[in-house]
Amino acid sequence: MPISEIPIFSMLRTRMQWHQERQQVLAENVSNANTPNFRPRDLAPFDATRPPPAAALTVARTSPAHLAGSTTGPVQFQVDRGGSFEIRPAGNGVSLEDEMLKVAANQMEYQAATALYTRGLGLIKTALGKR
Amino acid sequence: MDFAKSIAIAASGLRAQAGRMRIISENIANSDSTAQTPGGDPFRRKIATFTSQIDRALDARTVALGPVRTDPSDFITKYEPGHPAADANGNVKRPNINPLVEMNDMREAQRSYEANVNVIGATRRMIQRTLDILKA
Repeated sequence: MPISEIPIFSMLRTRMQWHQERQQVLAENVSNANTPNFRPRDLAPFDATRPPPAAALTVARTSPAHLAGSTTGPVQFQVDRGGSFEIRPAGNGVSLEDEMLKVAANQMEYQAATALYTRGLGLIKTALGKR
Repeated sequence: MDFAKSIAIAASGLRAQAGRMRIISENIANSDSTAQTPGGDPFRRKIATFTSQIDRALDARTVALGPVRTDPSDFITKYEPGHPAADANGNVKRPNINPLVEMNDMREAQRSYEANVNVIGATRRMIQRTLDILKA
């Protein structure tokens, strides 16, 4: 069993992917803070009990004797077009304060996930007795 | 890697805001640029525009500086008969630039730039955390 298949690690991995994706969406919002008619977006809240559907990549088979190679592609998180606090006359709804708070929260939560991951690895090392 | 994308998106924001800063500095520098000929038009205020575009290579929405527009508002006229650019009535057309507006635009550009720098900093720290897993 590879380390990434252990439940806690696979869950933390999905969580970290979610934070990566969210960071990208937030970066889009901040860079477009002065673009007319731009509405900010965000990811739907993370739910570990309902993992997002992974875009399954399968190899096309021309004969039933071929191996069915399959791999899981990047997971797709749902993008949420949340309402914004205010929409300026130019039609832009980005609130920089809001986005900064979200970026900071995203960073902290990511840090928590990586810290838990590190702890998980430490547990395995303890079990192996290689400390 | 998604983090590289986040940094590239924020960098596009930095570029756009820097371009806007250039336009603002042009306006401020030319706030006294009158015409060379009598009765001619002086420097016209420029406005930077932003457009959101989908970067195909990056697969993300970045921002870019759109076409630079000119401000169609009226020029400020000033009675100054001795000026080389004065028309027959002694009026000189001065650029339609209000320093107060330019200063506020500059502040906004500065704040937006800082916000993008913050995103880059936060993303870099997240990458650092990921690398820290290796040290565990």
